[in-house]
This record gives sequence, structure tokens and C-alpha cells, in this order.
Amino acid sequence: MPYAVETRDLTRIFAGKKKRRIRRKRATGEGEDHLGPVTALDQVSIQIRDGELFGMLGPNGAGKTTLIKILATLLLPTSGQAFVAGHDVAKDPFPIRQRINMVSGGETSGYGLLTARENVWMFSQFYGVPSKVSKGRIDELMHTFGLWDKRDAKVRMLSTGQRQKMNMIRGFVTDPDILFLDEPTLGLDVNAARVIRDYITNWVRSQKSKTVLLTTHYMAEADQMCDRIAIIDNGKILACDTPENLKRMIRTETTFRLEVDTIRDIASFSSMEGVKNFSHTDDISKNRTHLTFILEDEGPVAEILSTITSQGKKVHSLQKSEPTLEDVFISMVGRGFE
Amino acid sequence: MNTFWRTFKVAAWLGWEMDSNWTEPWLFMVYSVVKPVAGAFILVLMYTVFAFIGNRPDPAAFSYMYVGNSFFIFVGSVLFGTFQVIQSDREWYQTIRYVYISPISYYVYIVGRAVSKVGVAAFAVAITLAFGVAFLGVQIHLTVDAVPLFAASMLLGLAVLLAIGICLGGISFLTAKHTHGLAEGIPGLFYVFCGVLFPLSILPSWGQAIGKAIPLTYWFDITRRLLAPTLGVDSTLAGYSDLTIMALLVVSSVAFFGLSLLIFKTGEYFARKAGKIDMTTSY
Amino acid sequence: MKPATVRRTDLRYRIGLNLRAVVGRSYPRIVGANREPSWIFFEALLPLLGIAAYVFIYQSFGARSFAAAAGNTTAQAVISANTNALIASVVLGGTMVAFWLNVLWSMASQLYWEKEIGNLQLYMMAPMNRMALLGGMAVGGMVMTSMRAVSTLVAGILVFGVIFQVADPLTLLAVFFAALIALYGLGMMFASLYLLWGREAWNLSALMEEPIFFSSGFYFPVGGLFRVPGWGPIIAIIGSFVPATFGLDALRQLTLGSTAFGGQLWIFDVKTELYILVFMAVLFLILARYSLRYLETLAKREGKLTSRHQ
Repeated sequence: MPYAVETRDLTRIFAGKKKRRIRRKRATGEGEDHLGPVTALDQVSIQIRDGELFGMLGPNGAGKTTLIKILATLLLPTSGQAFVAGHDVAKDPFPIRQRINMVSGGETSGYGLLTARENVWMFSQFYGVPSKVSKGRIDELMHTFGLWDKRDAKVRMLSTGQRQKMNMIRGFVTDPDILFLDEPTLGLDVNAARVIRDYITNWVRSQKSKTVLLTTHYMAEADQMCDRIAIIDNGKILACDTPENLKRMIRTETTFRLEVDTIRDIASFSSMEGVKNFSHTDDISKNRTHLTFILEDEGPVAEILSTITSQGKKVHSLQKSEPTLEDVFISMVGRGFE
Repeated sequence: MNTFWRTFKVAAWLGWEMDSNWTEPWLFMVYSVVKPVAGAFILVLMYTVFAFIGNRPDPAAFSYMYVGNSFFIFVGSVLFGTFQVIQSDREWYQTIRYVYISPISYYVYIVGRAVSKVGVAAFAVAITLAFGVAFLGVQIHLTVDAVPLFAASMLLGLAVLLAIGICLGGISFLTAKHTHGLAEGIPGLFYVFCGVLFPLSILPSWGQAIGKAIPLTYWFDITRRLLAPTLGVDSTLAGYSDLTIMALLVVSSVAFFGLSLLIFKTGEYFARKAGKIDMTTSY
Repeated sequence: MKPATVRRTDLRYRIGLNLRAVVGRSYPRIVGANREPSWIFFEALLPLLGIAAYVFIYQSFGARSFAAAAGNTTAQAVISANTNALIASVVLGGTMVAFWLNVLWSMASQLYWEKEIGNLQLYMMAPMNRMALLGGMAVGGMVMTSMRAVSTLVAGILVFGVIFQVADPLTLLAVFFAALIALYGLGMMFASLYLLWGREAWNLSALMEEPIFFSSGFYFPVGGLFRVPGWGPIIAIIGSFVPATFGLDALRQLTLGSTAFGGQLWIFDVKTELYILVFMAVLFLILARYSLRYLETLAKREGKLTSRHQ
């Protein structure tokens, strides 16, 4: 039984703009490094099973979208192989295209002069869905996503959230076997995001052999929805397992979260014995810094506190917590997503 | 003033980059010349065919048409350079909302964006005229005395063109993406009614009345008078002295500047009211 | 939602899929034109002015020539007939301009536009044939453009008093549709190039306006170019690769009579030109199919299929 999605040592290198590189180099003496080839995916190997809701978790620029574009037959790999529904994306795209669809968050699709319903119908025609079937599905999905009232509104009159819902309907209307969702809840309010998350989860769980590959940089979204998650950074897969197993990987370690006055000198933390990794985020509005430490044990806590207080900074809160997916990421990469 | 100047400079730079940085400089120069020269050649062939099928050769009418057409390059470029700013920023690059909300004069920004088109058009006009004189027998005699008046008329003509372009920009705020319809149609209006290619007397009386109400008619007339005074083709404005025409040009320039402000602000107001500032209307 | 549909690959399925795709893609163009009232003014009526200018040029030349031949009624009659034929040539050219501009801006560079607004990636991962997508654009574009083309013809007849004499309407229709299919076939070929290019494509389209109007004789009988010694025939031969050249030449012969302009300004007879147009139509459609496939692969390899604002 082939996997819904499988990649083997998948690598994608973007060549960069050669002429501009040369021009920049002539003008400034630099440029080769800045605009040179970029390795977006570096020997990525994953297997996604039929019926799985699989998450790709990583910060911006990690390679998530590049992977989805290759799987959606929009981009060819530089080396390695990718298979979707058992077919090679590079050699045999037609049967793949019959089975897939893709929705990207934050992107507007369609034509401003058409209504929401017409836009979705138009895209369904590219998949050969009979008009009657398509219109029935659109109406059903419009109700489900709470877009029924806006069905006859021109797309240019829809709000961001409504457009994104329309985009989701476009993805589901062709009844794909494998759906690629690239940051589907990007920029949506809590309610709209929840409707979309619920629908996706229900769609996969209630039917056999429906597979979703979801990329996101929202930890909670990945944690809540996905059967398995791959953590990706700089084009490399760092780990791939169920959310529970990923968190279990660092359960032997201890996670501490601190809220302190804004602190600048953080370099000394990395050299402390027992500190496996840490991340920091500044909250400018409150003039605070949030620190997350992944420690081998509780030993270094006292030293951390004394380092902070010796800089004249106040510690507002200290909390030992259960590891989250973000902690897993910090443990592996040494920085958070923000 | 500082803000206006800064806006103008940045917009001019942006306009130049957008126009030119898609290719190598030499290719851009060729591109900038080939289009207008080919446009002039359409007229050359129209004249050639007309003469070939047994009609009397008419070099004066040809020169009249050729000179008018050469300067018409300014019309197409400057008008397109102004009104397309709104349409391309809104529909294509989708940056209009960010520029529009910045603390600058959007009016000045559009003028700045059009400046590179004026420069490129001036180059194309010079090449087209030079080609006509060198190879096609086009008659041009610009005297030294006429240079100041010629320079003043050029400035006024370009100012009028910018003002008309901004009027169209104001209208563009409210309409769907019609870049090509506008790019073709509006210059066509001036092509027909402003005595660019043929004397106004060819038009019916209502057409002549329209022509006389458009400042570009006076601009084309004075330009041709100063550049090619010996053509002897009926200009319909023969009864007007050079200075009268200049005065008409000044008055109409001021009027069109005011009109452009009014239409631009009105278009902007209604676009904001209807939520159309950053709409996209592709089809 | 019903269970997953069975994924078919047979010929009947593929034909159905691609026909639906043609209908789907032509739809926004057909309804778009109706939904935006400003479209009729800006896209169909306003451009007539540019054509009117060329008409007035011939009227102006004709009037001066007519005046110069005062007293010679025979010469004046010839001048009038010639002027009518030239104005008719402009009007016919004007109808073809509408289609050529549609090919350039709504066919060739459309894929670039689709890329900019984020639709291209959705088209390219759909299973329909890319030719069906372009076919939909072409059908929609033809319907949209016919309004402008008809307006030009009507304005030519009613406003400028042009007289057309159509002796063979069937051949006229055959030439018209062969020219149109060949033109849109050429547009499809260009469209594939534009998958790879960014603003270069836009500028290439802009570059194919006036130079093609000139070399294909949109506003004068293209035979005139063959009468220009030296460079004229070379330009005319290059221009003949655009199907509008033979299309217009044949249409002018069919509507003005082959004896117009003393019969000296035609390239070939109508039948030959019709055969050439049919050949071009087939050739361009085949080439479009292959170039689209090749350049899509190239664009996917270089990552340009989805990269915007190039």
C-alpha cells in the first residue's frame, strides 16, 4: 500500500538572480552570499499515510511552502523524489492533480468581478466536477462555513476571513483525496480559525482515506489537530512523530518559563552548565522579556536567577511547565518561532 | 515643501525602476524607440500607399502628420504614465493601500511616477524627428529666436498632459481595470480632435469645437508653427498669433490643473466612500 | 459530502473535463464584461477614436488630392474610390486590432497576470489540459472583443460611410474564423513564454503593438510594403508570421473586390491566403501545446511558476 505522500531525500535549491548578483557584486564588492543559491529543502524524507492529518511545523522560511509546492506539482525538485498517491510528482502529475487540492492562507484567488459562488464553481470546472454536483457541494459548504449570506457577493466585497473561507470551500469542493493546507488560518480571527480547524479535523476523521498535509507555525493548531507532526527548520526535518511523542522526547528535561524586566545580556545563559537551550521574546508594551529554558534538571535555576538579578532586573514570574511543541522546537533549534 | 520634493524624488525613482529594470539598459533604450518609430512608420506607409495608388504626392501634408505624430508620443506616454499608477498599484502590485495611507501627497506621488515616462518619451520624440528629417524628407526649421517660446510651450504642454493624466487617475479610482482601454482610447480622443495628424478643418464643425476646447490643440499648433513654419497646411488656427496661442495654452493649463485637482479629489472621495481605493477587479 | 469520486482517465472523461474547463475559464470574461458597465465605454467605444484618427488621415489626404484635381472629374472619381477603399481598409484593420490586442493582453500576458494575482498556481495544479485553460480564455476573449469589433464595423459603415461589397460571404466567414483561430493559437504560444517571464512579458506585449500594426498592415493594405524598395518586403515577410497579415489581406479583397487599388496591393489571391491561414491555425495550436508543456516544466524547474512580482 503506497503512502498518500512520500518524499525521499527531497532537495530544492533556488538558484537566485545571477545577473543581479553579479551587478551587486560589482557595485558593492559583496552580494554573492546574500543573493546566491538558497537551499529551501535539504534531503527531506517523510511518509504520510492514507487518512492521516499530518502537520509541518516550522518558522517562516523553513521550507514548508516549498514542500507543498513540489507536492502540488507546481515546482520540480532539484534532487530526490516525491510521490503523491503513489505517483511521481515530476513524471506523472496528471493522476496526482485529479486527487489533490491546495489552499494557501492569506492568498486571494479568483476574480473580483465574480461572486463567491461563481468563483468556486469556476475552479471546480477545472477538475471536471459536473455543474449540478458542484453547485450542490458549494451550497452545502457555504452553509457549513457560514458564508451562505455572502454567496452572491462579489469577491472584492468580502472580508479577509470570508475570502479565506471561500478559499477553503474551493479546496473541498473538488472532493480531493489529499488536501494541502498551507497556513490555512493565517490572519483569521479566533472564531473563523476554529470553524476551519473543526471542519478539517472532521473531514479527515469522518471519511476513509482522506489525507491532509497542514503547514503551520501555530503550535497549538498543530498540537490540537495533527496525528503526526514533522518539525522543519532551514529545509531540514528535525523530528517527526505524534505530538505526544515529540513532547515526550524532552520530558526528561525540565522547562522553566520566566517573565523578567527587559533584559539585553542573554549570552551568558547559553554557556551555563545544564542549560540545554533557551529562547527569549521581548514584550515591548510591558517592558518585559519572556524567557523559556530547557534544562537537563533544575540545577541551573539558581544561577539563572542570580544572573538576572545581578543585572538589576526584577523577576516577575517563574513557572515550571509541561513541555509544549514550542519547547520541543527550542530544544532542537535553540530559538523560538517569534 | 520638503515632503513634496521627497515624495516626488522617491516616486520618480520608483517609476524609473519599474519602467527600466526589467532588462538590460541597451534593450530598454531599443524598446523605448522601436514602439514610437514603428508608430511613425504606420503613417509613412499610409502616405506611401496613398501616393502609390495614383494620388498626388503631398510632402507638406506628410510633414504635418509626421511632426504631429512625433510629439504625440508625449501624449501617449505621459497620460499612460499617470493614470496607470493607480491601476497598476491597485490591481497588480497591490501596494496602493500602503502608499495611500502614508503621510504624502498622492497627487505628487503620481506626478513623480510619471516623470520617467516623460524622459523616455522625450528621447523617443527626438529620435523619431531626427529619423524623419534624415531619411523621410520631413521639413523642420526651428530658428534660434523661436527656441525660448518653443521651450515654454513644451513645459506648458507637458504640464497640461500631466494634469489630464491626473484627471484620468481620479476617474480610475472608481472604475474597474481598464488600463488598455484608457491607454488606447483617451490618446485616441486627442489624436482625432487636436489636429495632430490632419488639420481640424477635416472634422465636422462640432468636432472642431471640441478640438478648440482642448489645450493640446493649441500645443500641437504652436509646436508645429515653431518647428516647421513653412508647411503651408491649413491649421484652422491661422487667425491666432503665436502669443495668443501661448496665452490660450497658459490659461487652459491653469484651468486643467485646477480641474485635475478637483477630479482627483472627487474620485478619491467617492472611492473611499465606496471602499474602492484598494479593490481588485480582474476578469 | 459524498465519498471520494472514482478517478477516471478515459478519453470521454478527459474530453468532459476539458470542455468544462473551457466553459469555466470563459465564464468570468463573458459575465465580467456585462457586470462592469464602464467596460463597454472604456474597452469597446473609446478605442474607436484611435481608429477614427486614421480614417481622418485618409480623408484629409483625399480632400487635398480631390481639391488639387479640380476640374478633372474622372480623376476625382478615382480619388474618391481610392479614399473609400483606404478608409475601409482602416475599418477592417480596426476590427482586427481589437482581436490582436485581446490576444496580446488577455491571452499572451494573461498567464503572467494570473501569476501576479495568485490564480496561476491553482490552475497549474488542476488536472485539466492547459490548452483547455487557454481555450477558455480565447473563447471568452473572442466574445468580449466581438463587441468592440462590431462597434468598429458599424461605426465605419454608419459614421464614415464606408461601402463594403461582399460577393462571397461563406469564404469571408471562413477567412475570418481561420484568421481568428490562428491569431489565438499564436497567443497561446506566447502565453507559454509568459509562464517563464515577468515584466519582460508585459513589455514584449507592449512591443508587439505598433510594430505589428505596421508590419502586418493593420491600417493600410500590406501590399504597400512590398512596393517600398529594400526594407519594405523584408518587413512584410516578417509581419506575415502574424496571421492578421494574410487575414486582413484576404478580408480586404473579399469586401472591397480584388480590383480595388488597381489590384496592385494584394499579396496572394484569397484561396491561397485561406490555405495559409488554415495551416497557420493548425501549426500554432500544435506548437502552443508543445511549447506550453515544455515551458511549464522549465518554469517549474526554475521555480518561476509561482514567484510573483518578478
